Amino acid sequence: MTNVFLQLLINGIIAGAIYALVASGFSLIYSTNKFVHFAHGGIIALSAYFLFWLFSKLGLNFYLSALLTILFSSLLGYILNKIFYRPLRAKKSSSSVLLVASIAILILLESLVLLFFGADVKIINFIKNNQGIEFFGAIITPLQITIILVSVILFFALFVFMKKSKIGKAMRAVADNRDVAEIVGISSEKIYSWSFIIGSAIAGCAAILISLEQNITPTMGTNLMIKGFTGAIIGGITNVPGAILGSFLLGIVENFGIWFMPSGYKDAIAFILLFIFLLFRPQGILGIKNNQK
Amino acid sequence: MIDAYFIHLLILIGIYLILAISLQLSLGYSGLLNLGHIAFFGIGAYVSAILSLSGVPFLISILVAGIISGFFGWLLSLPTNRLKGDYLALTTLGFSFVVYAIFLNWVEITKGPFGLPGIPRPNIFGIDFSSNTSFLILVVIFVLISYFFIHRICNSQFGKALEATRDDELAAKSLGKHTLKLKSISLAVSAFFAGIAGCLFASYITFIDPSSFTFMSIIPILLIVIIGGLASLRGTILATIIIVLLPEPLRFIGLPSSILGPIRQIVFALMLILIIYFKPRGFFGKVDLE
Repeated sequence: MTNVFLQLLINGIIAGAIYALVASGFSLIYSTNKFVHFAHGGIIALSAYFLFWLFSKLGLNFYLSALLTILFSSLLGYILNKIFYRPLRAKKSSSSVLLVASIAILILLESLVLLFFGADVKIINFIKNNQGIEFFGAIITPLQITIILVSVILFFALFVFMKKSKIGKAMRAVADNRDVAEIVGISSEKIYSWSFIIGSAIAGCAAILISLEQNITPTMGTNLMIKGFTGAIIGGITNVPGAILGSFLLGIVENFGIWFMPSGYKDAIAFILLFIFLLFRPQGILGIKNNQK
Repeated sequence: MIDAYFIHLLILIGIYLILAISLQLSLGYSGLLNLGHIAFFGIGAYVSAILSLSGVPFLISILVAGIISGFFGWLLSLPTNRLKGDYLALTTLGFSFVVYAIFLNWVEITKGPFGLPGIPRPNIFGIDFSSNTSFLILVVIFVLISYFFIHRICNSQFGKALEATRDDELAAKSLGKHTLKLKSISLAVSAFFAGIAGCLFASYITFIDPSSFTFMSIIPILLIVIIGGLASLRGTILATIIIVLLPEPLRFIGLPSSILGPIRQIVFALMLILIIYFKPRGFFGKVDLE
């Protein structure tokens, strides 16, 4: 019984780390841009395939491929913002319009993946020996430990960046109040670009870790996005630490849910949790209630 | 041969039209950014398929399909009624994911990924609708009924109250309108007609599986509504014809279906982005997407 409990807890933390990788970049972009960038999931999917192409097709060194993947994802985020979102923002489109555009972009990216790589599942065969380690009767693989460690380091680095660096401070200023930030000389367009670059770089890291742990499929972006979004809402969408906390909570709740329901209903559990939060605490765990739209 | 293909396209236009005008009611007239419309379409398709396969007459199964879809629309509206814009969009989108997960996983009822084959074509009071020509007549009848009802609803006092709620909820409330109730009814009626469309789809194709109801399928319908223009039923008709016919020439180039599918999606996605940039109100739209 305790073994099952511990195993589910560990599985929950692993799932939570993966969701948090998605949610942190997403909520960073949301906090400054104030619209739901659903195509974030598409960036993850395309980056995972980019890594697959470099490492498995071209046979590049894995660490070099990983580095190039992160560069690719941040560039992709920057370009998407420049060619799609920026013109719409310039026309004073509402956040709903931007949301619809982002869903269209997500489908565009996923369809491109389908077109170039086909619908079959791909595997990045980098870690050959992935024997589980026994840990108080529960099993965890070295890769899963790596995922948790890397994500924690990444979140810590992000936290320090947001608190200490000049760009991080400017981002928080724009997130807080764009107009006031503009008055003190912070260009909001520049900050939007930076949020896309940094948020998408995190998406690149997420893509690398996820594609080592799971198979890569063309629709992975959408699935991850739903979870990342749910985690972000639960924790407080405009608050990056909150989004990370919410994602871990989601991962743990989902995995304990399997005790009561067949595993195919994981999505349904996530959705029920989302509903509960939207109903009773729409600003999320760490979110601050404000009435601005 | 050409005739058969032409009839097939007309049937598709009819089914899409019911789906699109029902989305107009919730999205265009009530301003609810409902991205879960495919879920109601799917619920209607599955309910009617299961009923028809166990021998229930067509008229009863289409009615039950509509009512159950409508019931889920009403149910979804209860927690989402107070949500605005983005939040509503994503909750309804999430709803369509859950419904898809249920189609895929509730194997005892839906047969999961294998789908439900052999759904009978309708037979109403001894009149057989198994040929495509006769099925087209049936679809046209249902399109006319749906159009008539939705047109009437939109131009009634109820419809005006919905539009007032969309434009300024606080003002509508202060005039004594029960805006939450109005939105619930709107979503329920919208879901009802989506269910009807789903039933027609299931009995036309005679086979359904979860892949027809993924969230990606919302894109062409959303595109129809936005191209036609929000709160314009006339525009919707024109847009439905264009969107259904548009990817058809691709079929004659002779591309394999594994390439055709993604290309269709890319065309739709690009069109959606271009239309919201260059002509956000579509052909005859009266309001902006808020």
